[in-house]
Amino acid sequence: MQTGTKISAVAHGLLLSWAFLGGAFRSDPLPFEVQDVTMISAEEFDRIAGRSAASEAQPAPEPTAEPAVEQRPDPVSESVPPKARPEPTPPPPPPAPEITPEIAALVPEPPSPPQRASERIAPEPVAPPPPEARPDPVEREQVTPEAQADTPQEAQDATAPEEAAAEIVTEAEETAVLAPTRSPRPAARPPRRPTPAPETAPASETETATDTATETAAKTEDAVTAALTEAMAGARDATPAAPAAPSGPPMSAGEKEALRVAVSSCWNVGSLSSDALATTVVVAVSLSQDGKPQGETIRMASHSGGSEAAAKQAFEAARRAIIRCGAKGFDLPVAKYDHWRNIEMTFNPERMRIK
Amino acid sequence: MKSIRTLILACTVAAVAGCSNSYLDDTNSVDLGGSGVGGAAGSSADPRSPAYFQEAIGDRVLFAVDQSTLDDAGRVLLTAQADWLMSNTDYTAVIEGHADEQGTREYNLALGARRANAVREYLVSRGVSGARLKTVSFGKERPLEICSAESCYAKNRRAVTVLAGGLTG
Amino acid sequence: MTRFLLCFLLGWAFVAHSAAAQDGGPLRIEITEGVIEPMPFAVPDFVPDSPAATEVASQIARVIAADLAGTGLFREIPAEAHIGRVSDFNAPIQFADWKAINAQALVTGAVSSSGDRVTVRFRVWDVFSGAELGNGLQFAGSRDGWRRMAHKVADAVYSRITGEGGYFDSRVAFVSESGPKNDRKKRLAIMDYDGANVQYLTDSASIVLAPRFSPSGDRVLYTSFETGFPRIYVLDVGKVQRRVLESKEGTMSFAPRFAPDGQTVVFSLEQGGNTDIYIMDITSGGTTRLTSSPSIDTAPSYSPDGSRIVFESDRSGTQQLYIMPASGGDAKRISFGQGRYGTPVWSPRGDLVAFTKQNKGRFHIGVMRTDGREERLLTASFLDEGPTWAPNGRVIMFARETKGARGETTLYTVDITGRNLRPVRTPGGASDPSWSPLQN
Repeated sequence: MQTGTKISAVAHGLLLSWAFLGGAFRSDPLPFEVQDVTMISAEEFDRIAGRSAASEAQPAPEPTAEPAVEQRPDPVSESVPPKARPEPTPPPPPPAPEITPEIAALVPEPPSPPQRASERIAPEPVAPPPPEARPDPVEREQVTPEAQADTPQEAQDATAPEEAAAEIVTEAEETAVLAPTRSPRPAARPPRRPTPAPETAPASETETATDTATETAAKTEDAVTAALTEAMAGARDATPAAPAAPSGPPMSAGEKEALRVAVSSCWNVGSLSSDALATTVVVAVSLSQDGKPQGETIRMASHSGGSEAAAKQAFEAARRAIIRCGAKGFDLPVAKYDHWRNIEMTFNPERMRIK
Repeated sequence: MKSIRTLILACTVAAVAGCSNSYLDDTNSVDLGGSGVGGAAGSSADPRSPAYFQEAIGDRVLFAVDQSTLDDAGRVLLTAQADWLMSNTDYTAVIEGHADEQGTREYNLALGARRANAVREYLVSRGVSGARLKTVSFGKERPLEICSAESCYAKNRRAVTVLAGGLTG
Repeated sequence: MTRFLLCFLLGWAFVAHSAAAQDGGPLRIEITEGVIEPMPFAVPDFVPDSPAATEVASQIARVIAADLAGTGLFREIPAEAHIGRVSDFNAPIQFADWKAINAQALVTGAVSSSGDRVTVRFRVWDVFSGAELGNGLQFAGSRDGWRRMAHKVADAVYSRITGEGGYFDSRVAFVSESGPKNDRKKRLAIMDYDGANVQYLTDSASIVLAPRFSPSGDRVLYTSFETGFPRIYVLDVGKVQRRVLESKEGTMSFAPRFAPDGQTVVFSLEQGGNTDIYIMDITSGGTTRLTSSPSIDTAPSYSPDGSRIVFESDRSGTQQLYIMPASGGDAKRISFGQGRYGTPVWSPRGDLVAFTKQNKGRFHIGVMRTDGREERLLTASFLDEGPTWAPNGRVIMFARETKGARGETTLYTVDITGRNLRPVRTPGGASDPSWSPLQN
């Protein structure tokens, strides 16, 4: 098994380097790339629209592409964006089953779907009419978010099965039994399926891909995915972390995503000023090998968008998130310790802002 | 409510007797009386009495939602009011404008003023001296009917001509 | 579709790649999703320096906790759940005890009392990082003023955690209401923002409307029917002395508000059925007319810098919101949604205008940017009306009246996000709130 694993790891490494280096390989590390992509895909949408009908079965309900929605606030686009980001795309089989439970989890929030719709549409002026029901005083507040501008996010908490969402619901519940709309600000986005696959290889292929090439890419992809997954799984069991250089394969997207979600679930922006909500802070932290953040290492690496004072509050909220959710150690692969020993987390509240 | 009406009637009667300033003393009294039942015995039979003005002629006109224009019925009634005022020159009047509760406070105050003024202008156009007519608006502060339904709102959107004793200096 | 996938994969490639490329550098992740929930905090009873201070020490802690919890941004962990005790203000905090109950913020304090003087000291702690937020602070005052001291502590705590000013040490002027709808008694009253310490400023002999605080909180403008006709009065809150402002015979004046200079009053004047906006120098009584349309122009409110005035007008045919220069002149309409808009109030931060909206038989309190963008409705009911801003521009108070013959008015507060709608406890009915600035 050991040998097999090693072989697999080596093969995997080769595959990766081929993937990276083979495709004219640029190194801009900005995570924002994700958003760019979604924007592109939004453009694509119109062209795709016709075809995508077939793929309707896809993980549609996911809230997705913010930029897309912003650009085209008309109702139609609403139903669309979901397709705009078929994250779990290539390996379609797993997503399908997973999604169902997600939706099921949402069911307990009956009012949500309709509200969301109206929220999203509402550009500025017209607020949707309040429901006929004559709720008792306390309840009425709900109409609120209707006119809210940064609506797309709202959609997300609709689908957010995260515990945070649950809490907001309970709070809202006191005030919101009959109310049509609820939940002012978005809750955490549902953790993405930690798609093990799409990793790097297929992507870089596509980088240079032409239309003709795509088909091949799509085909290879499955194979590659499988290989990668296997390789990584192997790598995980295997190696004790070599203290020297970055050991083990790089963090997978899924692993990073899991960390992101873990921190997100403790990042409470509910008590931040509007100024602080307009401030992005980059927080550096060092973790011990058991995944626990080392309190004294937490510092603000940089901030942008707000005053010093606002940055301080924003940093404090970020620090609380890291310490609280890391109290029992983040779930990170020990084998890759050197990859996550030092972390820089960018806390960007743009989408959580209420202005 | 009844007592307020009685009070007003008493005031008016007192005013006739020469107590000319009294109508301003009870500043928050608003004519809440309906136009139905006769109040002070016998007086409504006297066409020169305020009770006659109030009940036989009618002291109020009603308005449509958010409107201050007079309808035909209103003009007919105001014509009769003007005639009465022309032949009973001892009286002055304060025209009170009111609005229903469906509106914001300031706006309703302004809307009531429009209504009162519409009545005033009509009376003036029928020959009543403007010096005898004052206007005031209560906005939505003094509804006549208190249900939250159109049947009540319709009666609250009104301008009431409240008689008072002779001209004061 | 394939193309589409490509784009997507491309995206992932970059992301994944970025990590791989950071050879030896820190792992970088971006968090863009968080949660919004009240932050759990604990305020154990403050430590009294003597038995005489025991009661007030506990009361102060209770008021602080109520202030914070009342914002909806914080959730108090009740004393029963506390594991730790704070019996010495200067002793090190046992953070583990507070972490264990998930208190994220901790307020500790001490109260000393000598004669009529009470001194309050406090500190705010970020439990999970073990850091103190800001430095210890102390307030001193007379025993009677303990509530204000508590509000001041709460303001400081709020401000240190959220980064924005508090609003607890403030007062609200309002109209106290009693009696049936068709014979409602109205009195001018003033109270702490949380409904405590109600004082009446007028009797109920005359209808009084819409008190408005001066920028320094020392005076209140209001409209009264004392003479039988609506006129504007200014009342010194401390001395409870009032005087009527100049007005012309045969006109009605109402809807007054102070300019930020505290010297100019903007108001509506009705003459011959037409209502326009005027300003008056409160000392000299000299007036200037700002609008002259044959429409209802009313409910003016200054921008915090005093340069502009937002008001409502039905010049377009229905009530809508407009902004004009403080000297009058061209008014620009800012409300374009369905329905009617009235009672605009400029936020103390200057960025938003709160308003009352009527649409399809219901009333809403809402906010919009000063150019009319981003309208957001915060409430909906049979009758919501008359928003007023908390000093920090984060919370709005307004009056809600229930339907029907026995309809009652109640004050409510709501966060500008639309969350945390709560009634304000007042003795009897209350309407027309006006929130004071923070007290000194």
